Amino acid sequence: MKVTLRVWRQKGPDQPGRFESYEAEVPSTDMSFLELLDTVNEGLIARGSDAIAFDHDCREGICGMCSQVIDGQPHGPDKAAATCQLHMRKFKDGDVITAEPFRAKAFPVVKDLVVDRSALDRVMSCGGFISVNTGAAVDANAVLVPKDDAEKAMDAAACIGCGACVAACPNAAAMLFVGAKVSQFALLPQGGPERARRVLRMRSAMDAEGFGHCSNEAECEAVCPKEVKLSNIARLNREFLRAVLVSPE
Amino acid sequence: MDTFLRLAASSIGRKMAVAALGLLLCGFLGGHLAGNLLLFVGQDAFNAYAHHLETFPLLEPVELGLASIILLHAAVTVYLKVTALMARPVGYAVQVSKGGRTWGSSTMIYTAVLILVFIVVHVATFKYGTRPSPSDLYGLVMGYLRDWRWAVFYALVMGGVGLHLSHGAWSACQTFGIDHPKYTPAIKAVGTAFAAAVALAFAVIPVWACFIKRGQP
Repeated sequence: MKVTLRVWRQKGPDQPGRFESYEAEVPSTDMSFLELLDTVNEGLIARGSDAIAFDHDCREGICGMCSQVIDGQPHGPDKAAATCQLHMRKFKDGDVITAEPFRAKAFPVVKDLVVDRSALDRVMSCGGFISVNTGAAVDANAVLVPKDDAEKAMDAAACIGCGACVAACPNAAAMLFVGAKVSQFALLPQGGPERARRVLRMRSAMDAEGFGHCSNEAECEAVCPKEVKLSNIARLNREFLRAVLVSPE
Repeated sequence: MDTFLRLAASSIGRKMAVAALGLLLCGFLGGHLAGNLLLFVGQDAFNAYAHHLETFPLLEPVELGLASIILLHAAVTVYLKVTALMARPVGYAVQVSKGGRTWGSSTMIYTAVLILVFIVVHVATFKYGTRPSPSDLYGLVMGYLRDWRWAVFYALVMGGVGLHLSHGAWSACQTFGIDHPKYTPAIKAVGTAFAAAVALAFAVIPVWACFIKRGQP
């Protein structure tokens, strides 16, 4: 099987970029898309050309680094999968596959397919944590958590911060990411004391980073590799309203 | 004041303003539709209703309030749209939906422009148009709608209104955080049913006027 890769090439953050095409032989349809990029890069390096820069780390769908838009969809055409979990069996002989970096003002391109997603880290540093006193470890089951709340919090905490929600959103909004992070703490008793402060600060940081607004189009939910639900955005809206209207913060 | 400023300064608060104003406009549409349906009852009933409205002492403040709601709904949306365009200065070469967007949600801005243009035309013709006699709004309305071009224009725009509401009604609830696994499917269904009912009921009037009442008083 042979495919043509149409890849965005950009030397640096302030450099102009363009698409370049590469013919690629696919030795096995069981190889991942990133492995195909590795193969193409081996050829480029052998010819003395600059390898295609792309982010990756765990290659098992849990680190959220492999952020690319493949054929118009963040992480490619598979459902509930990161780019590293996209396999070449999803494509057919002769396909032209377009790979672009995530596009958002808050995610500037570093090189080729690599973007700087540290805006999400800065939003997290404003409240995406709980403050815990040091000392002896508390008994694991000392604080009771309703089963349903624990499940919802766990589902929200499945967010790997890949930024696909931002990439897919027509407004480049980070509402699903912030919604998931606010929800995972708001649902648990441990997140209670900083609940209002957290949502106010994270919302403020989210807007300051230049993300857009939410128009409830649900593309974020559709592309999320961890299937984080849109109800987390509704919870973020509730948490924000509650914090503004009734909290002393 | 502090609460208002915090809401106004946030993207979430601004979206809530759009949602609240949109829900108010949904209420107005319901009232407007109820009045319009009197066209089916007959000339006297409709003209009596029009006279009742036009002699209402607070008509001007209400009209001013309604115009303000529409303009504010549009202005905040335009502001949000501009910030959204700034949030993605470089677009994609290829962009394919994964199934989140609907016809209604992806055409909101287009149906909004259509509705705004329609409102200007609608007010210019039906409010400030020349009536057969000063108390005969029925004659003016039916005069326009018996012309198939006006009837088609009205029916098409009402399709646009329905498309706009098919996303807007549920979206407004989601923006206010009204979401629950038990009730959200019902909220979505009611939103869609409201959108379809409003669009159909409004669109049936020009179709009826043009094809059934043509040539009749």
